[in-house]
Amino acid sequence: MKSNIYTHELRMKSRSILTWSIAIFALMFFFLSIYPSFAEEAELANQLMSKMPEELKQAFGLSNTDMASLLGFYTLVMVFTQLCLAIQAGNFGFGLVSIEESELTADFLLTKPVSRVQILTSKLLAALTAIIITNLVTGAASFLAITTFRSSHTYDAGTLTLMLVGLLIFQVFFLAVGLVISLLVKRIHNVTPYSLGLAFSAYVLNAFSGVFGDVKLEYITPFKHFDPNYIIEHNAFDTRLVLINIGISVAAIAISYWLYIRRDIHAVS
Amino acid sequence: MNIFFRELKANRKSLITWSIVLILLIMISTAKYSAFAGDESMLKVLEAMPKGLMEAFSMRSFNLTTLTGFYGVMGVFFYLMGAMAAAMWGSDIISKEERRKTVEFSLVLPVSRNRVITFKALAALVNCILYVLITWGVSLLAVQKYQPDQAFRDFLALEMQAMFIIELIFLAVGLLLGCAMKKYKLAGSTAIGIILVAYFLSVFSGMQEKLANLKWLTPFKYFDSADLFQNGRLDGTSLLISAGIILLCLAAAYYTYNKRDLYI
Repeated sequence: MKSNIYTHELRMKSRSILTWSIAIFALMFFFLSIYPSFAEEAELANQLMSKMPEELKQAFGLSNTDMASLLGFYTLVMVFTQLCLAIQAGNFGFGLVSIEESELTADFLLTKPVSRVQILTSKLLAALTAIIITNLVTGAASFLAITTFRSSHTYDAGTLTLMLVGLLIFQVFFLAVGLVISLLVKRIHNVTPYSLGLAFSAYVLNAFSGVFGDVKLEYITPFKHFDPNYIIEHNAFDTRLVLINIGISVAAIAISYWLYIRRDIHAVS
Repeated sequence: MNIFFRELKANRKSLITWSIVLILLIMISTAKYSAFAGDESMLKVLEAMPKGLMEAFSMRSFNLTTLTGFYGVMGVFFYLMGAMAAAMWGSDIISKEERRKTVEFSLVLPVSRNRVITFKALAALVNCILYVLITWGVSLLAVQKYQPDQAFRDFLALEMQAMFIIELIFLAVGLLLGCAMKKYKLAGSTAIGIILVAYFLSVFSGMQEKLANLKWLTPFKYFDSADLFQNGRLDGTSLLISAGIILLCLAAAYYTYNKRDLYI
């Protein structure tokens, strides 16, 4: 790792960290401010729900979660947070090395006395740091917003922490997958459509499996790997799915190293 | 005119990629509908869901076990895909010249900046039209096996019109961002911000009576599929607001791009 590449990369990402952090703060506070009045309404609905046969409730992803509870309500905003952070991590991943090519600075960077492995490692660590910072801010925002609006409702801080840890692994997934896709295609001109497409496709697939209750989709979309409803219900991760997720991330990073070392990088003519 | 054809060709790959994602979406969802069609007991579960939650996923006032109801719920996803694609096309078609350092080249050609924007916008417009037509066509094909009736076809036509208007809104916004942003990098990320805020607002506005007025801030709620279903036509006020937004954004785009000191 080269510290000057690392610090430069991190500085480049500071704006993204700041913007997304503010966005997440606003999202959390706005959303949880609805909670107090939502809780009363949901209480009634829950009583109705309890009379439904179990198989039918199973058909819906959210059915077993008590929406009137604080964390049950929090799962809704958690999905939106996941979507935001997936876009951010995707941006980092897709842009990590492709940005040098699209901004015509790749040959400058590669003539420096640093190996490609060093470049990729420093850049990855910088992106990882940025992701961790955003994750910590999200955690702080969650706890603050919940404490502000919870009034007499109680919640389990351990479960919430578990969700946030899951969120971090989830972010790394989009970083790694973005990176490997950016190295698999010939050239990325603009990062935004890629990260937007990846994050939203995963999100929409997740929304479908929630509404229509299909089990097979859970393997494809990372939103299901860290389903907050599952975490609340079991107070633990779905080990199998989390392992799949981590496996994909690790494989993606390994393949990225392999590809980047061999990559034919176009010089500016 | 050659700018137009040049841009059409340059954007072909992007159109194909966005279409593939959409086609997959339609295929997966219609396949799922089969497990769902005509299931009476499912209806009871839906009726028992908390109202705020149903609103959040815009599932209010739909009978999900019918094809029309099912497509009504799908509506917001179509709008979302259309909005994203259109905003990306709009912002990128202008800002890419600066990113790829070709802006000096295209502007020393004997064409005015107005003409550059016009033909680029037209090329993006053609993309948007094709995107809606593809959605429409693939949807009709995908539901063929459920024997759709005329009512469904009418509803789909209405929903596709709404999708097209939403595309136009976000295309105009995207064009404005591409034209107005001094830093080309900001155009794309601002577009993301606008889409996310609009989408979240559309979810929030349904969750509570108090927040209902938020719907005027988000195009995704202008043509809520539940309203389309009930009224059988596009809402007049919403059409007017949409036209206003589109014209305003286009005017601002032309104005700013003509004045703009380009990033070289």
